[in-house]
Amino acid sequence: MSTPHIPPSSADSGRGDGSDADTPGALSPVRPEPPRHPRADGSGRPAGPAGRGKERSVASRLASATAGGAAQVVLILFGLLWLLPTAGLFVSSFRDARDISAGGWWTALTDASQWSVQNYSNLLGKSAFTDSIWTTVAITLPSTVLVVVVGAMAAYAFAWLDFPGRDWWFLLVVALLVVPIQVALIPVARLFNVLGIFETIPGVVLFHAAFGLPFAIFLLRNFFAEIPRELLEAARLDGAGEVRLFTRVVLPLGGPAIAALAIFQFMWVWNDLLVALIFASSSNPPMTVALQQEMRQFGANIDVLAPGAFISMLVPLAIFFAFQRQFVAGVMAGSVK
Amino acid sequence: MATALALTTACGGDNGDDGNNGGGGDGGDNGGSVESSIELPDLSGERLEIAAVWTGAEQANFMSAVAEFESRTGAEVSFVPSGDNVATFVGQKIAGGAAPDIVVLPQVGVLHEFAEQGWAAPVDDAVMEQLNANYAAGWRDLGAHDGEQYGVYVKAANKSLIWYNTTAFENAGVSEPETWDEFIEVARTISDSGTPPVSVAGSDGWTLTDWFENIYLSQAGPEMYDQLAAHEIPWTDESVTEALTTLADLFGSDQLLAGGPDGALRTDFPTSVTQTFADLENPAAGMVYEGDFVASVIADGTDAVVGEDALVFPFPAVGGEPPVVSGGDVAVALAPDGEASEAQMALLAWFASADAARIWAEGGGFLSPNRELDTSAYPDDVQRDIAEALIAAGDDFRFDLSDQAPAAFGGTTGQGMWQALQDFLRDPEDISGVQEYLESEAARAYGD
Amino acid sequence: MADGRPAVIRARPWAVACFLLPALLLLGALVVYPIGYSLWRSLFDAPGTGFVGLDNYREMFANPAIRRALQNNLIWILVAPALATALGLIFAVLTERIRWSTAFKLVIFMPMAISMLAAGIIFRLVYEADPDRGVANAILVSVNDTFSEGAPWPDARPRPDSGLEPGPEESLVATEPAAVGEPALLPLVGVAPPRVADAGQAVEPEPAPDAVVGVVWLDFAPGGGGDPGVVDENERGLPGMVVEAVRDGTVIATATAGADGTFSLPAEADGAELRLAASNFAASFNGVDWLGPTLVTPAIIGSYVWMWAGFAMVLIAAGLAGVPREMLEAARVDGANEWQVFRRITVPLLAPVLAVVLVTLMINVLKIFDLVLIIAPGSTQPDANVLALQLYFSSFGTSPNQGLGSAIAVFLLLLVVPVMIFNIRRLRQERKG
Repeated sequence: MSTPHIPPSSADSGRGDGSDADTPGALSPVRPEPPRHPRADGSGRPAGPAGRGKERSVASRLASATAGGAAQVVLILFGLLWLLPTAGLFVSSFRDARDISAGGWWTALTDASQWSVQNYSNLLGKSAFTDSIWTTVAITLPSTVLVVVVGAMAAYAFAWLDFPGRDWWFLLVVALLVVPIQVALIPVARLFNVLGIFETIPGVVLFHAAFGLPFAIFLLRNFFAEIPRELLEAARLDGAGEVRLFTRVVLPLGGPAIAALAIFQFMWVWNDLLVALIFASSSNPPMTVALQQEMRQFGANIDVLAPGAFISMLVPLAIFFAFQRQFVAGVMAGSVK
Repeated sequence: MATALALTTACGGDNGDDGNNGGGGDGGDNGGSVESSIELPDLSGERLEIAAVWTGAEQANFMSAVAEFESRTGAEVSFVPSGDNVATFVGQKIAGGAAPDIVVLPQVGVLHEFAEQGWAAPVDDAVMEQLNANYAAGWRDLGAHDGEQYGVYVKAANKSLIWYNTTAFENAGVSEPETWDEFIEVARTISDSGTPPVSVAGSDGWTLTDWFENIYLSQAGPEMYDQLAAHEIPWTDESVTEALTTLADLFGSDQLLAGGPDGALRTDFPTSVTQTFADLENPAAGMVYEGDFVASVIADGTDAVVGEDALVFPFPAVGGEPPVVSGGDVAVALAPDGEASEAQMALLAWFASADAARIWAEGGGFLSPNRELDTSAYPDDVQRDIAEALIAAGDDFRFDLSDQAPAAFGGTTGQGMWQALQDFLRDPEDISGVQEYLESEAARAYGD
Repeated sequence: MADGRPAVIRARPWAVACFLLPALLLLGALVVYPIGYSLWRSLFDAPGTGFVGLDNYREMFANPAIRRALQNNLIWILVAPALATALGLIFAVLTERIRWSTAFKLVIFMPMAISMLAAGIIFRLVYEADPDRGVANAILVSVNDTFSEGAPWPDARPRPDSGLEPGPEESLVATEPAAVGEPALLPLVGVAPPRVADAGQAVEPEPAPDAVVGVVWLDFAPGGGGDPGVVDENERGLPGMVVEAVRDGTVIATATAGADGTFSLPAEADGAELRLAASNFAASFNGVDWLGPTLVTPAIIGSYVWMWAGFAMVLIAAGLAGVPREMLEAARVDGANEWQVFRRITVPLLAPVLAVVLVTLMINVLKIFDLVLIIAPGSTQPDANVLALQLYFSSFGTSPNQGLGSAIAVFLLLLVVPVMIFNIRRLRQERKG
């Protein structure tokens, strides 16, 4: 089995011979791959398009050129189809309530007078909304850090420390990978009530952390297990203890997996509605809940909802474009949640 | 001398001095403030949370009344929008032990449920004093459960109004109808003139229940209405058949509904209003039915001017008297495990005061059940007329039936009356089917 | 490697505990304990005091609202993953040799980055029924309009008993036969004033000795007034209206009304039936009721596919990169066309990846919640209901029944148990192997 460093999904967990082993999550095949230290099999990748097509006949090249042309047209159409909904939201967010009730967003494409940033300044002038942005941040950052830290610690223990029943414990964690969060809504609401953290940010953070953990442990343990034993042994001979090994050897080498995990967890929590709906304080809710509260009377509220939804998308989109590779890897690995 | 003058001014004069039971001693305390009709404790450092369905301008107007409370008492009050299902919202919060301090309920049925569950706290003497002074018995009693007062009606709605686009009426050459038959005739004529006559917000079940209630109240009379509200007569009753048959005059006609029944079913309430008033040259609908709050939707979403482009007439009489169906929002203090705090009660008392009503009224889009409120506080004549009609009805109005019913029957998406009337709008032929569904849902919700 | 080899570190027990405890505590308290609690709670009634055995599970299958949710979940599970995977496969294969594939993949994958709430708002806008507001219907209507010309007077209709009755299709038939020397009056109503702005004052034509004449006009003067059936002042003609004379089912003559609404048919139309052709009225196509009771679930599935096709595409593309080029080339050299190569070689080689994508999406779809809550309007929310939404309403809704909510939760958990077992077996096999 080659490196399971980022499994395609847990349904496929532990499957290391994965077809994805080479370009996990790469949207762009030409993008240089960041160095992945512990990987032993980096050379196994096929030479890419270069090797292909040498012996093709002229006829087949012609045929494939036309087919390529048709394919391009189909793809362009699909691309436009995929962009259209978001474009609608984007344009709508710049039109005032009257324009919105008077006609479709596409009329604004030819009518510059409909464009204005008034919706945005109205929305950002409301402390209820700006507060919700901070609440989202205050929930998302700690949840991400907590999952990475706690998950990495446990993953390290599962990968390299010796303790009784280690494999069984790990099996339990794997079993928990696909537990639907719905199962926990009622019991955890009760539990948090007793603990006094219902409707508080710590409550939401803990809930997200707990449900992020099985995946975090699973992903990181498999990655950590790939660290060459010699490295650890050498450090051990130098007198490093468990903690030092963890912070000085394992964590630095685990960088790529940790990045993918962190980004995935960040997006997951940022975008969450259900958990926040139940566990977050409704007087100080995160953005998703604040917007959901405005869904009442959708028809009259588009001038609030469209810019709000767009603002809520900014951070995820920025992360997506900046960290494509890690994000895609994380999504591929963690989509089962 | 100065204080006596001040008190008269505060009362607006027209209700007579007997309306003010403040007495001389009280007046002495208030000597400095011309406006104050209520004494509030010092609540510095207290924090309160209010949950209500309002968003946008409605919420802002409400909060301006709350801001005055904050400045008079030093308490800090935060607002939580509860979403459409207030009962769901509160249930969820109480399950987790974080109930809001005050919740404003649009359905009185929910108040009964909360009182039954022991979640709501009865009001104290100070609140009662304000209620006795400022509210007609009808409005007061609506906030009571089993003889105990729990709620304060902070906002009223006159739900027996039909708004119309004056262009549509001019084009068709028709005038305001007074009876249901005239109403249908007017609608036909408007349709003939090329304007779809009636805009119905079928996507929001509550607007459909309001249609039914007006017809039923006018046709079957107040006693039957009360019995139906209490589920003392079944929904399979003849009177319900009759009301639905009448409603089918309208709902069963492709020509009379803007967009036909399908179009109506996908129209939500704000859209039903904006489509009526957005285009003043060539309106997409001639009339739209709903309460006084339509005015604020017109003002927010269209260029139409209420009082010029948009006018209003009372819901036509179907049988005897024209109906007066009212709605409203009741503020309740929540104390699921114990006594309500002084701050909670002070805020309820504030809501019951004429001062709070006046500040709120000035913002527009608001109707107060507080009879001590000087109607000059309303920003325009249309609003003032609607308010005066409501106060003049005294105890003769009937409260929104679906709001009196248990929430599962009268106020939940996909269940009970909302669902039944949407089904009816989809297929107005099947009256008996709708009645059977209503009866089975009612039996379940009322628990008998 | 994960074969249970001795760990490098003989760790001190307290160190192991320090590393493990936080995770185990969180998992125990917030994941494992809730499973147990839900199982137990699902056997009790709404207040949680009376033991009811399996009644909540029975109620789950008996309650029509929940049955609807079950049905919809089934549709979701059967349709959404298959559709997303199929699209993903197509995209992955087509982008293989395209130079701008990265840009394309970015576009398709981007929806994965945004919240279901934002996607819900986006698609609420897309699916607005009014073709002047919702882009989906705007496209359908404009496509439709390029292929079929709109009728000139879609809204025009007769008053009852005005001498015109509905005929075949959407045509209108005069009750009186055409007669030379007796002008036919064909009154219609229901046309908005701006639409007849260009029409002239309607005129009742003089009888002609050698022709059937008549007028088709808007029998409604702006501002009211005027008698029904009479051409009054200020009533406009309906120009362009096509009038047919029909005898024994065949059209023998046709005329088109002028600006003043008058028309003239040759004398042989005498005694024939006068008909206003259906093409005058054919109701204009106004798009599809996306969020109506029948289409709401497919429409929401559409938005889901929009979000998740990119996921399928990326996984499949990664799998595709692992397909040996030589095999494909060899097949091509042997004369197989692209379709055959795709069908016989690529797809079978990709089967494991496709299975993974499908199963992953199925698990995901099982718990669909946000999209349904946001997109389905109140009137059709019951038609769009799914288990996770029902669980939310049953647990926290009006008159909550947390026993029933717990039963739904347990049911959801049961549905993923096979995947759980599959995961564990895979892992154990690897350890042994």
